[in-house]
Amino acid sequence: MLKLDPRTCIILLVIANAVIFIQRNIAIEIIWVGLLLLLLCICGAVRSAVKLAAVFTACIVIQYFVFPVAPKSVVSIFFILISYARKVIPCLIVGTLTMKTVTVRELTAALLKWKVPYSLIIPLSVSIRYFPAIKEEIGYIRDAMKLRSIRFTDKFECTIVPIMMSATTTSDELSAAAVTRGIENPCKKTSIIDIRFGIADFVCIAVGVLFIALAVIFR
Amino acid sequence: MNVQRSSNGKMKGKELITVGIFSAIYFAINLVFMVLGGLHPIIWILMPAFIALFTGVPYMLLCAKVPKIGAIMLMGLITGIIYFATGTFTVVILVAFLLACILAEAIRYMTGFRSSVGNLLSYVAFSVGMIGSPLPIWLFRNDFLAQIKEQGIGEHYVQVLDDLATGKMLVIMIILTIVCAFIGAAVAKVLFRKHFEKAGIV
Repeated sequence: MLKLDPRTCIILLVIANAVIFIQRNIAIEIIWVGLLLLLLCICGAVRSAVKLAAVFTACIVIQYFVFPVAPKSVVSIFFILISYARKVIPCLIVGTLTMKTVTVRELTAALLKWKVPYSLIIPLSVSIRYFPAIKEEIGYIRDAMKLRSIRFTDKFECTIVPIMMSATTTSDELSAAAVTRGIENPCKKTSIIDIRFGIADFVCIAVGVLFIALAVIFR
Repeated sequence: MNVQRSSNGKMKGKELITVGIFSAIYFAINLVFMVLGGLHPIIWILMPAFIALFTGVPYMLLCAKVPKIGAIMLMGLITGIIYFATGTFTVVILVAFLLACILAEAIRYMTGFRSSVGNLLSYVAFSVGMIGSPLPIWLFRNDFLAQIKEQGIGEHYVQVLDDLATGKMLVIMIILTIVCAFIGAAVAKVLFRKHFEKAGIV
C-alpha cells in the first residue's frame, strides 16, 4: 500500500482545485478524476474510491442523458446541484485521501516542516481532535433530552448550552495538561515522526502539474 | 463607555486551545447546514443566513474568552482549512471568508474587544463571509449556461437559472444574512444572561 507524504496531499489538493477551475474539457476532467481515483485505490481506500466513482458517473450520466429528457421542473431543481457536485468531486477525492491516510500527528509534523507558526498548528490540531468529542456529547445530550421530553422549540437552547459549558471546561483541562507538557516552552520543538518526499510523491505532483498545463492548453 | 484594551501580547497556549475547541463547535454547526444545503439550491442560497442565526453563541463566547487580536482570524482560518482539506470547498469561499475575518478582526480591534456593539458588528461581518459558499452559482454562471447549450437543453432552462441567479437574489441573500446575524447575536446575548453569566463562564 502506497503512503504519500502529508505535504503531497496538501499540494495535490491545491492542484485539484486549480485544474477544476481552469478546465473546460470533459475528456481531461474524466481522465483527471480517473487518475485520482486510481491513486485513492493504490493508497488503500478502495471502498471510498468506488463510492466516489459512482457519484461522479451518476453526475455525468444525469447531466448528459437524463436532463435532456427529464421534465423542466425536475431539471430546474437539480441542475445547479449536479453541476456543482461534479466540480467538487476531484477535491473530494484528494480530501478523502488526506483524511484516510494522514493522522493528526503527521499533519502537525508536515506543517512544522513548512514552518507554519505554532499559533496556527495548535488550534488546528486541537480542533480536528475535538470533533469526535462533539459527536459523543451530542449523543448524550440527545438521550437526556428524550428522557425529559424537551419541547422542539427548546431544543436549540438545550443542545448548545451544555455543549458550550463542556467546551469551556475541556479547554481549561486541556490547557492545564498542555502547559504541564511544556506547550509554553519557547524553544524549538521536535517531532518523532520523520516525513520525507519519495518517488511516488514527485510523480504525483508532476502529473498534477502536467494536468494544469493540459487544462490551460485545451480550454 | 469604558473601553478596555486587553490585547497585550500574543495569544498563549491556553487561548490557542480555546480557539481550537470553539472552532470545532463552529465548524460542526456550519457543517450541519452545509449538508442541508445539498437538498435544494434555495436552501443553499439561504444557508449563510441559517448559519448566522445559529453560530452566534460560540462566536460571542469566543470573543468573551479570548479578547485578543487574531482569535477570530484563527477560527476562520481553521474552518477554511478543514473545509479545504475535505475538499468540499473551492477557493471562492476561502477568499470570501478571509476578507470577512479580516474585517471582523478590525472591528473588534477598533472597539477594544470588550464592547458588545463592537462584537455584534464583527459577528455580522464574519457571518457575511459565508456567502462565499453559494457564490459560485453566480461566478460559474457562464459555465453552467455554456453547459446547458452544449447538452442541447431548451432555452427555458436558461430562464430557470436566470431566475435563480439574479443580482436581486444576491442582494436578498446578503441582507437576509445580515438580519439573521443580528438575531443570532441577540439570541446569544439572551443565553449569556440566562446561563453563562450565572455559571461564571463569561
